[in-house]
Amino acid sequence: MTDIPSFLENFLAACDFEDPVEASLETKLKSLPKWDSLAMLAIIVMFDMEYGRSIDGSHLKAADTIGDLFNLLEG
Amino acid sequence: MPVSTLTNVRFAGLATCVPKRIVSNIEDCRPRMRAERERLVRNIGIEFRRLCPEWQCFSDLALIAAETLLERLRWRREDIDALIVVTQSPDYLIPATAVILQDRLGLSQTTAAFDVNLGCSGYPFGLNVLGSMIAAGGVRKGLLLVGDRCARLNDPIFSDAGTATALEFDVSAPPMRFDLNSDGSGCKAIMLPVGGHREPFGIQHMIPTREDENGDWHWPGDLVLDGPAVLSFSTQRVPPAVERLLAYANTTREEVDYFVFHQANRMINETIRKKLKLPEEKTPSTLRDFGNTSGASLPVTMTARLCEALESGRRRLLLCGFGIGLSWGSCLMETEGAVFPKLIEA
Repeated sequence: MTDIPSFLENFLAACDFEDPVEASLETKLKSLPKWDSLAMLAIIVMFDMEYGRSIDGSHLKAADTIGDLFNLLEG
Repeated sequence: MPVSTLTNVRFAGLATCVPKRIVSNIEDCRPRMRAERERLVRNIGIEFRRLCPEWQCFSDLALIAAETLLERLRWRREDIDALIVVTQSPDYLIPATAVILQDRLGLSQTTAAFDVNLGCSGYPFGLNVLGSMIAAGGVRKGLLLVGDRCARLNDPIFSDAGTATALEFDVSAPPMRFDLNSDGSGCKAIMLPVGGHREPFGIQHMIPTREDENGDWHWPGDLVLDGPAVLSFSTQRVPPAVERLLAYANTTREEVDYFVFHQANRMINETIRKKLKLPEEKTPSTLRDFGNTSGASLPVTMTARLCEALESGRRRLLLCGFGIGLSWGSCLMETEGAVFPKLIEA
């Protein structure tokens, strides 16, 4: 079971936003300051390297919130 | 194609030529984009790129690399039996650039010259095609010219380069082992959709379709690059392919001196390196200084980072290219006594 705080920490570190961002599982991805292709690539790498889970662009396009991404770990 | 071995093929040398013009991804952009570019450079690892002037083609760079290499090798031009060009930036749509270069290089009309249309994966494929002609006995000496002119000022990824590799028949040469793969179901992941017979260029393609947040206009004929698809492909297909070739050759990671990967971007290359548990010192990188030079990125890295090491003794290399197609291939080979001139700028 992955704990939520460490997932959020990894998520924000991977996205490498220019300014500090507050995030929770309810945060909508499109409300993030830069939910761009670079952030998406970083999240695919994070899933692969940190959690051993392969996801692709279709998973990211289907996700609305950070929580939707977190739920991919349980799927 | 199953993993395979070529014998009697010697890697005789390699030369690389890049344009003189250096573009900085951070300095040479609009001031308001600077913070975003710094974030981009941190993550993709590409700070500088080489850009051809308007008049310069890939073939002009490859020609200089080939001339330099032939001079260092002291090969007579009439002894070159084959000239293979691997590029996706030909001088013209037709005829083949290799045939034009046969004449520009002053090679004999008995030279077999043709193009291979591959990009980032092209170097191992080109080595295999030319190596197979040599191993079959019909070709004694051959040249492989690989590269592209793919850089644009506003695109922070791509960079220009032309390279020349010399192979020759030699019964004492160590074996070259190959693993070559293709997956056309991913053809739309990287594509120039306009200008071929599926969608010929027309007046409708001269109208820009959208302006991005940086103020750059995009056109229907622009390169399509599905970043997440390319990243997933690269990080999932390449490591097992490298493992397969090592197992086929009964070779351990420790027995390989250098693993030279296509220089895609830092995220992709670092993921592949970590998955294969390779130390940084065995995986040379030219991403920071030369960006993604398409099919030339393996020879660019060999020249820019390894030319002295490769000239100084016997070295075992695993070369791996991957990208547009989708296409990926690896070559495990040894070099000894080959010539590796220093990087040429033109």
